[in-house]
Amino acid sequence: MSIATFASRLYLAAVFFFVFLPIGASVVFSFNSDRFPTLPLASFTFEWYAKAFSDDKIWDAFRNSVAVSLTAAAMSTFIGFSTAYTDFRYGFRFKAAYLALALLPPTIPLVIMGLAMLAWLSQIGLSGTLFGIIAAHTVLGSPFAMAVCRLRLHQMDPSLEAAAWNLGASEWATMRHVVLPFSAPALISAFCLTAAVSFDEFAVAWFVSGLNRTVPVAILEILQGNVDPQINAIGTVVFITSMTLVVIAQTIFMRRNRNG
Amino acid sequence: MATSSRYAFTWRLPMLIWQAAFFVVPLVFMAAISFWLVKNYRMEPDFILKNWSKMLGRGFFWDAYWITLWRASLAALVISLIAFPASYSLAYKVSESVRRWAVFFLIVPFFTSYLVRAYAWQVILAENGVVNAVLGQVGLGPFTMLNTGFGAMIGYLTLTLPLVIVLQTFSLSGVDRNQIEAAWNLGCSPLRTIVQVIVPSARVGLIIGAVFCFILTFGDFVSPFYLGGSKPPTLSILIIDTTKSGQQWPRAAVVALIMIATLFCTAFAAVSAAYRKRTR
Amino acid sequence: MSHQSAKNVSRRTLLKTAGASGVVLAAPMLNRAWAADPVEINMLAWYGHAEPDIVEEFEAQNNVKFVPKYYAGGDNMLALMAQSPPGTYDIILSDAEFVQQLNAAGYIQELDPADYPFDDFFPEFQKFPGHWIGDQLWSVMVRYGLLGVSFNTDVITHDEAMSYNVFWDSRLTGKVGHFDWHLPNLGQMSLLNGNDNPSPFDIDGAAWEAVQEKTLSLKPQVGGYFDYGGTFSSLKTGEMHAVCGIGDWITGVLQKDGAPVDSVIPEEGGIQWTESYSVGIGTEKGEIAKKFIQYMLSPAGQVRSIQMAAYPGLSPTKSGWAAIQEANPDEAKRSGLIEGAANDPIRLKREGRIHYRDIPRQQSLEDWNDFWSEYKNA
Repeated sequence: MSIATFASRLYLAAVFFFVFLPIGASVVFSFNSDRFPTLPLASFTFEWYAKAFSDDKIWDAFRNSVAVSLTAAAMSTFIGFSTAYTDFRYGFRFKAAYLALALLPPTIPLVIMGLAMLAWLSQIGLSGTLFGIIAAHTVLGSPFAMAVCRLRLHQMDPSLEAAAWNLGASEWATMRHVVLPFSAPALISAFCLTAAVSFDEFAVAWFVSGLNRTVPVAILEILQGNVDPQINAIGTVVFITSMTLVVIAQTIFMRRNRNG
Repeated sequence: MATSSRYAFTWRLPMLIWQAAFFVVPLVFMAAISFWLVKNYRMEPDFILKNWSKMLGRGFFWDAYWITLWRASLAALVISLIAFPASYSLAYKVSESVRRWAVFFLIVPFFTSYLVRAYAWQVILAENGVVNAVLGQVGLGPFTMLNTGFGAMIGYLTLTLPLVIVLQTFSLSGVDRNQIEAAWNLGCSPLRTIVQVIVPSARVGLIIGAVFCFILTFGDFVSPFYLGGSKPPTLSILIIDTTKSGQQWPRAAVVALIMIATLFCTAFAAVSAAYRKRTR
Repeated sequence: MSHQSAKNVSRRTLLKTAGASGVVLAAPMLNRAWAADPVEINMLAWYGHAEPDIVEEFEAQNNVKFVPKYYAGGDNMLALMAQSPPGTYDIILSDAEFVQQLNAAGYIQELDPADYPFDDFFPEFQKFPGHWIGDQLWSVMVRYGLLGVSFNTDVITHDEAMSYNVFWDSRLTGKVGHFDWHLPNLGQMSLLNGNDNPSPFDIDGAAWEAVQEKTLSLKPQVGGYFDYGGTFSSLKTGEMHAVCGIGDWITGVLQKDGAPVDSVIPEEGGIQWTESYSVGIGTEKGEIAKKFIQYMLSPAGQVRSIQMAAYPGLSPTKSGWAAIQEANPDEAKRSGLIEGAANDPIRLKREGRIHYRDIPRQQSLEDWNDFWSEYKNA
């Protein structure tokens, strides 16, 4: 191995070390008995997990988060797919503006989204409801879902649909028997990705949630409150949840892509 | 088969309806309340310019504006530079499968709680935290890293570095290999090859990476607050402070609108620079 | 046949799977319905007031469950009230100086003085300013504490901490933290400038100018601005060696954790924070809210409040003092809840060294708030 190659490997390793240091550290701290951990580590403990899991408010937050992220993911996936399909299939006036609108949300800072959503939702009487969080997370998730679906549709032979129509299938039947099955892996991936996005989002949820806190909002409140290592315990559980969703999304998408 | 318009609109409308109701209208409404009046902690519809004049007339607003702009620009530059060698290695020096896994592992952190990672950094960087404990073993330190610009930059790196590397790697992989080899064969030094061949060819991806970095750090409040000690406060912190203090939402809306305008201008300028025809 | 049954099986499996996933999806809703069995009481409060160490006994006895929304600072509390539809919060713990604002905005109900044990209160607290309009009662004080100089005892001695001037000490450069709220910080600066008559919050234009100038001169010493959690961890980890605008409510918790920190009331005087319960307008749970306030004022409730895990608070009732002396003599001694002790808060008050935290009397809250933003950016 040449020195240059060695140096580049070392650099890569350092970058990955930096990226995973806080994640690894929070997993380690979650089992460490010190309230403000340092080196050398104190003794091993499950105390923070026990504390987090015995707290009703954390369970409520988990339930809220699951309800919000599943619903928001389903809606984001539907909207993302329909937008991607529109882009794939149709050309029309103002299409550039249409696509810009679809892809714009990630450029708006979350704090501003939160402020605007809360102002608007309290105007229409929906502030402090789970629906408010779902509405906002659907906005945030659908561009991601659209990107994933668009990539998959890009791989579909456009003549496939035409062939089905020629055989007498209606557009709806073609959608159901040709396009949707072909897009299935993308739909599943998009669902998992948007669920993960929603499950971790805290800024908008913090503004909008009122009394219905989600897990990241609960974490934020602990960070603003008594700064307790149960943050690490909750964080580890959330990390595993999000990881699982992302891994499922990735493997399904990769495998089907290779086969299909 | 003729396209039925009902079918077409079924797929076209959901996004339009949803984005209109929960994205466009909230932002427009926010623009409207920037002209509203606050009386006894309640907002009243009105059309006054006081919120704008008051906010724009304050030294602290402009201080926050410039520090936020400066930090986001610095972050975009520094993080792009830190990311580049890693992206270069991933694009040219490793096998296809290593690259795929590396990209996968760079996407993973994007889906872990940023708050939890910021909190972990707090513990790691503290005066008697992990880094200073390690440095203490070799007789260095302790260094003050938390509640400084450095702390905030670590947070920005945590937030954006993986994303920037992924975007850069994609664009570098797309550069025509023959071009690079031609440069080599003509006796270009590695550095010259990078500067004169690779960077110009991958320009779009590199700029998009930097723009995303700028957008994310410009709007972030976690790093400047929890790792930077609000010293000085950025625009996002100013928005939160303003909403907390006595229902001054119209003024927070003013700050938000100026942030959006700045982001749009920056993004537009950068994208047009990215797609501008090369002059040579 | 076998083909047929395979089909049946697969259909049955499918139905089962669908049913199971339906249950999974519905679980949050169902659990919610079961959990709704105890009456939920929505509380707006500073961090910690609806945590188990305070409310678990009351929740168990009355089959209720507190659902908290936590805020930091009275301005923040008012903003949250304004954003929520009426009736959102059944019970509101506010800073005493904001009761008038809550009242003026029509957010709280009138209370019946006969419901609460005012005879048991120390005379100083029986008619707390802003809580009464004539004989009408709007809010009931439940706890209070003192703000002075909070510091790391390894760095600063008690004697040195006896003046706010210690914040300018060269050993504290970059190590002075601020609790991120204008009132307590600027109040302390005002006291340092000698504005103690009638109150550090009742100052004319010239004095206000001087307070701003004094505050800005502290800027080079400042290491950061922190919320509750940040104040707490920065003192504990040694990130900050002194914090302005706080008192025993932070250091008392850290002492229990073994940290070398303390708070004193300096020569220039200290500021008293006061927390009071009000009942939200439009609530249907006024009865149980009243019962909870009565519980918190009972000796048992006061013992919990004094030792609250999130932050300790002093007791306004005589029976509360007696109860803590009985239940936890060390804590009574530590926090001065013994008549005539050196740190007896009532004695400090009678000596004129304690001033109620208040909203600015001659300037608007907005002026103070704006200056605070300016200071943070200076």
